Amino acid sequence: MAIEIRNRLGLADVKSDFRHIAGRKIENIHNELLELEAKGELKVIHITDEHKPIEAETLFGWKKKIPTTKLWHHKSCGQCGNIPGYPVSLLWFMNKFGTEYVDERNQTSCTAWNYHGSATSNPVGLAAVAVRNWHRSYELGLFPLIHCATSFGDYKEMRNLLVENKELRDEVRRIMHKIGRDLVIPEEIVHYSEWVHVMRFEIAKLRKYDLSNIITTVHPACHCYKMIPEDCIYDKDIYAGKRTAVSTGVALALGAQVADYSTWYDCCGFGFRHILTEREASRSFVMDRKIRPMVREANSDVCITQDTGCTTTLDKNQWIGKAMGYTEQVPVMADVMFAALVCGADVYKIVQLQWHTTDWRPLCEKIGIDWKKSEEEYNAYLEKLRAGEKPENLYEYA
Amino acid sequence: MEYDENGVSIVSNDFKKEIFEEAKKDFRYEEYVRGCLNCGVCTGGCPPHRFFDFSPRMVLQNCKSNDPALVWGMMDEYVWACFQCFTCAMICPFLNNPGGVIAILREISVRRGFESAKKVLKPYSRVLLKLTAYGNQLSPDMIQPDFFPDWGPHIGYASEDLPLKRKAIPMPTLQVTNLAWDVAPEAMKELYTIFEEAGVFKIIEVVDPSLYEIIQDIVDDVRSE
Repeated sequence: MAIEIRNRLGLADVKSDFRHIAGRKIENIHNELLELEAKGELKVIHITDEHKPIEAETLFGWKKKIPTTKLWHHKSCGQCGNIPGYPVSLLWFMNKFGTEYVDERNQTSCTAWNYHGSATSNPVGLAAVAVRNWHRSYELGLFPLIHCATSFGDYKEMRNLLVENKELRDEVRRIMHKIGRDLVIPEEIVHYSEWVHVMRFEIAKLRKYDLSNIITTVHPACHCYKMIPEDCIYDKDIYAGKRTAVSTGVALALGAQVADYSTWYDCCGFGFRHILTEREASRSFVMDRKIRPMVREANSDVCITQDTGCTTTLDKNQWIGKAMGYTEQVPVMADVMFAALVCGADVYKIVQLQWHTTDWRPLCEKIGIDWKKSEEEYNAYLEKLRAGEKPENLYEYA
Repeated sequence: MEYDENGVSIVSNDFKKEIFEEAKKDFRYEEYVRGCLNCGVCTGGCPPHRFFDFSPRMVLQNCKSNDPALVWGMMDEYVWACFQCFTCAMICPFLNNPGGVIAILREISVRRGFESAKKVLKPYSRVLLKLTAYGNQLSPDMIQPDFFPDWGPHIGYASEDLPLKRKAIPMPTLQVTNLAWDVAPEAMKELYTIFEEAGVFKIIEVVDPSLYEIIQDIVDDVRSE
């Protein structure tokens, strides 16, 4: 068993100079985007030196600039409603690094979860919402950092459709003018996990605990790397460049073991519509296709995710498995939450694990984190708030 | 509406043709439906294929057949099985996008107000209301033990003392209970204009007239504030 696990662990660390592109012939949309800007068709939110970008490679070896500061946080519906530790952990790191950012109310959902679940929208509606939110960051002089994987996938798709279709551009521009905005498109669509990825070595410098005995299993979000896959980060030193490097990269940088499992490529079972209205499908999928392989094949201590929907689906649907005699359980958290946890962020106030359903306490104890002390302090903090004290926030908001 | 032995609604051949033509006219269709080798790699990797009678290979093959009856056969329950994960699109050697085709067919189904779409989306109305009226789709106060008994006993944690626990999240934008984040009214108003201009409100009116009326009341209230 030990040898089998050790072999599986080796996969994430495999390095290669060979890039396999499966014969795909895809044009790099960025050239066309810049041509449209030159013609005055649209404005581009450029990534400049001010954003202190760090370059990464994508699927075909193209360069992708990831801005590391002057960021506009674009929120995720599920993240904010269900998993608040996910954006809090991200902002906690940004405060540590002195990152300039704005987290504000003047933004709407990307509406793509709804679209993929119910089809009650269309490309014009989706693209207009995307441009509306991009334009808000543009007018603040900031670069949008997308928190949600579905927003990320949708925005990449909308950017491509807008670049490739004049009729769509004209229609979206007309709508933007009605709300006093203009057609703008970011030079890159950037997911928060990409920020975490390029910052992983800086993050690792803050590590407080030894993770050499912690086995992680990574579940990447479908809408991150399957929608417009050419725009996703790959690294020849991680999975030999054959799988997306994001999330695995930060776990490795932090010194954790990253184990492979046979259903790595499967989705989480979220299904957009299914998680809300046909949950038996999501439940079965979670246990049969993700959690059981992670535990039985990889002996995983923690499942690392990079998205709202996956985190919720994989975390919340384990308890019901007991009804089928499934005893396998593994705590689930986003990459940035795991990173914050091992860099000393408070389990309750920052990582906010108290909202999670599957027991995460054994993981904390294995790492050496005193969650009980954190719980006591959090409960005392709640009493102070109840008595009327002001909350301790990560930033001031007018 | 009458149904055949496969549960597919019975309509005239002309209507089937009309629906297929509507799908083909979508500006994304040609990009999504290319040559198909019938290799089946899409279905082999398709997550819902393991739990449902659903195959992205069949979606492509039915479109490539040019037979409106085969496409019509997918319009009822079939298209709603897809998880929209786009595994099929990523692994197709010919860059087909069966998940994208499903999105086009679902759009038609909803836009036309097919009974199958209404039935599938009926339990979805709470989410649809939240999103279209307030600007984001999930809120902390929706996580109630009555709605999510299968999520286990700990789910009650989220419903006890919720305003206090939300206040303890150190991001002011998240210190609300009835929305994922506290969307600014100006952002909501812009969203309403987008939904009107893009025809999104009209789609909701077709698929759920009662819900549409409730949404419009909220829209009017927010606009008048």
